[in-house]
Amino acid sequence: MNTLEHLKQTEVINVEVAGIDASLTNGTLILFLAVALVVSFYFIVGRKAKLVPSLTQSAAELILDFIRSEMLSPLGREGEKWLPFLVSLFSLILVSNLLGLIPGFVPPTSNINVTATLAVIVFFTTHITGLRKHGPWSYLKSIVPEGLPFFIAAFLFPLELIGQLARPFSLTVRLFANLFAGHAIIITLVSLIIIFKSFLIAPFPVIGNTAIMAFEIFVAFIQAFVFTYLSASYIVGALQTEH
Amino acid sequence: MESAVSAYLGAAISIGLAALGTGLGIGMLASKAMEGMARQPEASVNIRMSMIIAIAFVEAIALYALVVSLILATK
Repeated sequence: MNTLEHLKQTEVINVEVAGIDASLTNGTLILFLAVALVVSFYFIVGRKAKLVPSLTQSAAELILDFIRSEMLSPLGREGEKWLPFLVSLFSLILVSNLLGLIPGFVPPTSNINVTATLAVIVFFTTHITGLRKHGPWSYLKSIVPEGLPFFIAAFLFPLELIGQLARPFSLTVRLFANLFAGHAIIITLVSLIIIFKSFLIAPFPVIGNTAIMAFEIFVAFIQAFVFTYLSASYIVGALQTEH
Repeated sequence: MESAVSAYLGAAISIGLAALGTGLGIGMLASKAMEGMARQPEASVNIRMSMIIAIAFVEAIALYALVVSLILATK
């Protein structure tokens, strides 16, 4: 038995572009569905925005206000232009996590390629904004804390550089492994029936899986929040450096 | 020892030790956070928020070990 069977990508539509396999797998299709859901939700809500919000508009405003107050408050008015990026990041991760809980669906975020792409986008966004705001030399200097003697700063610089490069890696693995582990636990509990070759054990997987599924809904929200929170703190850190 | 056996053994030891450390870490975090909440109930919203973020960080370490042990176990 293979614990990773349910997370395998199966080709749905075969596409080959210039010798590169670009087939649409079930994970890709679910990712497209998540994107379509997010875009249409905000499009419909934003088009009919009223002063007295409807139920859906309140939900959208709740997410916006949450991200604005929780993550972007150190930037003040400057943070306003980062709101669309972070809200779309949060919504996309949240919707993909939740879609993966529907039986038969693969969460797109349980594939390391998806989370790595998101983390690399965040990495380049952070550093390009930092470079544009501060210029190359002072941005490079701002990696090390201000006011240290030269030899300590020279010693710390490589360590801080490695820390900066480890950020996308940790963002990738945190999101991927959380989603992946949750689904692996579910299939392992179910396959206890096959391992013990008896239906008498069935109540244990059923109760256990109900609890795990409830926990997975919680994890879907927490991981979307943590990913967005860390991205926001990286961007805030790149924009705000003490001089 | 055969290489497959040692791979399985390594996988089990890695996830076991990681679960031990993560369990201790999350336990300490939660106990301190609850102490803080009991001492200052008006700050409990903020404390709960930062506790959840910190737990997500600690939990990620166990999940790194899980990835390592899955790589070892499916070798």
